[in-house]
Amino acid sequence: MRTEWLSLLWLAITLGGYFALKPLYRRHPRWWTSPLLTVPLLLAAAGLLLGMDYPVYIRDTHWLVLMLGPATAAFALPIFRYRRLIQRHWAALLVGVLGGSAVAIGSAWALASWCGLDDAVRRSLLARSITTPLAMLMSADIGGVPELTALFVVITGVAGIALGELLLRVVPLRSALARGALFGVGAHGAGTAKAYDIGAEEGSVASLAMVLAGLLNVLMAPALAVFLR
Amino acid sequence: MKKLHARMRWLAWRKPHVARWSQVVLIVLVWFACDQLSRRFHWPVPGSLLAMALLLLGLMAGVMPAAGLRRGADWLLAEMLLFFIPAVMAVWQHLPLLREQGGRILLVILAGTALVMATTAVLVDLMFRWSRRRAH
Repeated sequence: MRTEWLSLLWLAITLGGYFALKPLYRRHPRWWTSPLLTVPLLLAAAGLLLGMDYPVYIRDTHWLVLMLGPATAAFALPIFRYRRLIQRHWAALLVGVLGGSAVAIGSAWALASWCGLDDAVRRSLLARSITTPLAMLMSADIGGVPELTALFVVITGVAGIALGELLLRVVPLRSALARGALFGVGAHGAGTAKAYDIGAEEGSVASLAMVLAGLLNVLMAPALAVFLR
Repeated sequence: MKKLHARMRWLAWRKPHVARWSQVVLIVLVWFACDQLSRRFHWPVPGSLLAMALLLLGLMAGVMPAAGLRRGADWLLAEMLLFFIPAVMAVWQHLPLLREQGGRILLVILAGTALVMATTAVLVDLMFRWSRRRAH
């Protein structure tokens, strides 16, 4: 089959799979029904048949990844909608984002060193908690592989949805603020989508926490790069 | 300006689909302009964040009514998981590396994410309670 047709077929399978599997998540919102897990599994199965060729796959589907940019811009609306909430609790949010980001970078570095991972992998892991476009930017700054970082970011997203669900069941959190911030700082966009399932307030706090954490990390990256050399 | 805002609200109410897609296109255009600017002048802030700041400023200043963005923004946010999926398939390019270190990488991500979430939640909850106690 010609490459162009194969690329188009991949785009069709990705879109079709997503819209076919999304209702499943609607009905049973669990981490293992998340389209972020089920659709890649479907694509992997199709890959056994059509060949797992990433350049062919991404040729037409990279438009979808580009849409993450406008999606990030769209966070302006929830932030605007909940500006009162943010005005009231900016200090708590800032402390949470600062602490969470520090733990994200510190724990990734310490655990990766302890597990004896390659240096490139270790550097790519540092940016995994923030939203994809920013994570890839930060990864390039600190000597990681942006593509690997994108992958780790998504794994973090799926893991974060599952872990967040578990944490909320174990730890009694009284404020929507804490419930939202946990997802936003820990699991970026995927966590934010999950937080919106819990409640609109949680979701908007999560989106704000995500944006704040992303900004903070990107702005700190040059300093971190010097520090890690 | 007032007339334009009224028209946008009317569109959002009467023709939700037209409103949604035109708003998505509007957001994409704003993002594209910001992205080009950021690339051209090598700004440290990526275009997506610039676009977000610009839209937020527009909303705050009242240049842009929230009704004129709502449907488009909500759609983009609701379908965000779709935009992540092709990024996952980069797995195919790193299969040997993942076969060798995948288990350990997964361990680092799981343990790290649990730590981040717990820290953030506890910190925010403590701050929230503290500020509440102070208010009373």
